[in-house]
Amino acid sequence: MTARGMWHRETVAELLLASLLPVALVWLGLAGGAGLLRLAVFLVVAGIWHVIWMLARAQPPSLAGTVTALALAVLAPGDLGLLALILSTSFGVVVAELAFGGWGRNVLNPATVALAFMGFGFPAAPWPELPVQIGWAALPALAIGLGTGIMAPGLVLGALLALGAGWAAGLPVAAVFPAAAGVLALLVADPVASASTRLGRWLNGLLYGGLVSLFLALWTGAAAVQLAVYAALFVSLAAPLCDEIAITLWLLQRKRRHG
Amino acid sequence: MPGFWSKGLTVGPRGPGFVAQPETVLTDEASLLAELSEDLRVEPLAGEDDLVAQGAPLLRLRNPAGTVLAAPMAGRVGHLDLGPGNRLRRITLFAEAAGGRHRHALPGEGDAAALRGLLQGAGLWGGFRSRPFGRMPGTEEAPAAIFVMALDSRPGAPDPREAIRGAEEAFARGLAALKLLAPGHVFLCRGEGPFLAGEDDPELRVLECRSLHPWGLAGFQIHHHFPAAIGRPVWDIAAEEVAAIGELLATGLLRPTRLVSVTGDGLRDPRLLRCQPWADLRGLAQGHLRPGQSVILSGSVLEGRESRWLRPGDRQATVARPALPAARSHWFLRALKGASRPLPLIPTAAVEHALGGALPAMAFLRALSAGDSEAAARLGALSFLAEDMALADYVTCAEPRLSALLGGLLARIEAEEAA
Repeated sequence: MTARGMWHRETVAELLLASLLPVALVWLGLAGGAGLLRLAVFLVVAGIWHVIWMLARAQPPSLAGTVTALALAVLAPGDLGLLALILSTSFGVVVAELAFGGWGRNVLNPATVALAFMGFGFPAAPWPELPVQIGWAALPALAIGLGTGIMAPGLVLGALLALGAGWAAGLPVAAVFPAAAGVLALLVADPVASASTRLGRWLNGLLYGGLVSLFLALWTGAAAVQLAVYAALFVSLAAPLCDEIAITLWLLQRKRRHG
Repeated sequence: MPGFWSKGLTVGPRGPGFVAQPETVLTDEASLLAELSEDLRVEPLAGEDDLVAQGAPLLRLRNPAGTVLAAPMAGRVGHLDLGPGNRLRRITLFAEAAGGRHRHALPGEGDAAALRGLLQGAGLWGGFRSRPFGRMPGTEEAPAAIFVMALDSRPGAPDPREAIRGAEEAFARGLAALKLLAPGHVFLCRGEGPFLAGEDDPELRVLECRSLHPWGLAGFQIHHHFPAAIGRPVWDIAAEEVAAIGELLATGLLRPTRLVSVTGDGLRDPRLLRCQPWADLRGLAQGHLRPGQSVILSGSVLEGRESRWLRPGDRQATVARPALPAARSHWFLRALKGASRPLPLIPTAAVEHALGGALPAMAFLRALSAGDSEAAARLGALSFLAEDMALADYVTCAEPRLSALLGGLLARIEAEEAA
């Protein structure tokens, strides 16, 4: 039959962008014209790569490229230099997303990979200090994501739970709250690059909160955004493992029930 | 079982506007069409122009050998079209009340072999569907469990409770008979509400479920409660078929009608009626159509197939508006659209709900897309049939269709098993 629903890839990308609008608007309000320019640069670089892959590989471009650009604009180190910026953005977009077949088939979040590339490749560039408003704006962003079903409740709650536990243990979580919440909304909660099973998502969220707490306790001298981004990178890498654990447990449980 | 955390969707209006009392409509023609690929090899028991009684054996099937298809109504055989190798293409009956009703000889009670013989000889064997693979069970096949579906959550589906209203005693008798086929493993799935006749039997396992799609499909109930596997076939049967078995056992007569709903955009008002199997769907919709073009599907809007005749096993028909031809897009956009198959699936709550939260949804769908039959079977593919993926197809707009992928995967597993 020909009846068609609406949850194809671009619907999810549009909703993802819509849910991140609070963060985008607050950040643009604070950063002003310079922020707009910065966002435009990332948009252009990501857009050009999408068009190149469309022409060369017949890969339809995705609105998700905008989400990547937004995450990079908010989280990338400040005075990186145009060349380094273009280089690392290209690396993230091409190697982490387009080479896998475009958004939806990628394993890691392209923005996470680009940010990690910046961190490893240009360690001298200072990471941005996120204002506390970004942290608060991330909460409605997460709420919209949860309400529309594109972000996973287990992941968000798990992350908040683990961060809360770190805070209860006396770690300076409050100081990194804007970065931790912003990275959670912009990078970690990405439905494609995070775990896809119910238990796996809880593990994923707990791991993110746990890693941020761990870095806070052990990694002296790291910037707030820096530790959150690296935590996001490790969580993204561990997502298949979380899923694998969840599926194995599910199969064991079924085996016990049904033989 | 399903509580606050249960997953599933309420799809479309369910039953509103149905008149309280379904009217009985017997169409003038009834047909069974088969495609050559279905390989329905038959031996006709009546020729063209023969007068047949309602319920009389009409065609004997070669596979499973010995089972028959019964005449859905008293009438004259109009067309009997057999392809090469006696494969049925089409058989059409024209109603003629003079045919009367055929009375089957009843065996003694309480004998499983005799019951099998009776059901196979009376044409009720086809009411069973055996999983894995969803075929009519073999004549000697012993089911590990039987699921009686007194629940149907498809959009616009008729309420099985309504279907067996007035035949409660026959339903209870049919349930008792099923216990001979699968002792101790007869499951009755029903929606919330009052008890059904015969369910106070301690050997019967009653599963009360909320009517969220897809939990009203046999596949999901079987997957959750008693997964099918190779060498462990699980049968499912609709509640009304059980009532038909009960009536056959009591009277020797075959139930002449089944409850069918006709819904859809192309209809002025949804209809609920009792008609014969293989009924002419155009006849059922006649006089209730909205002006304009429409297509008639046998089955619900999600998984139905275009057909003029009510297909065996279907209990609803949908009159839909034909899909408008898409505006001609630029050749480049068309090429781009075509080049990106299979479309990526994004894990969202929508996907989770479309599979009822019954299994790790993305892992299963990825196994389907990749054609990984081992992983899919491990996650429960053998309990499902193509129709169980119809909601996921609808929700995710997957391309290629997940139901087609699952169908192909099951066919491959079946071929490997047969080899």
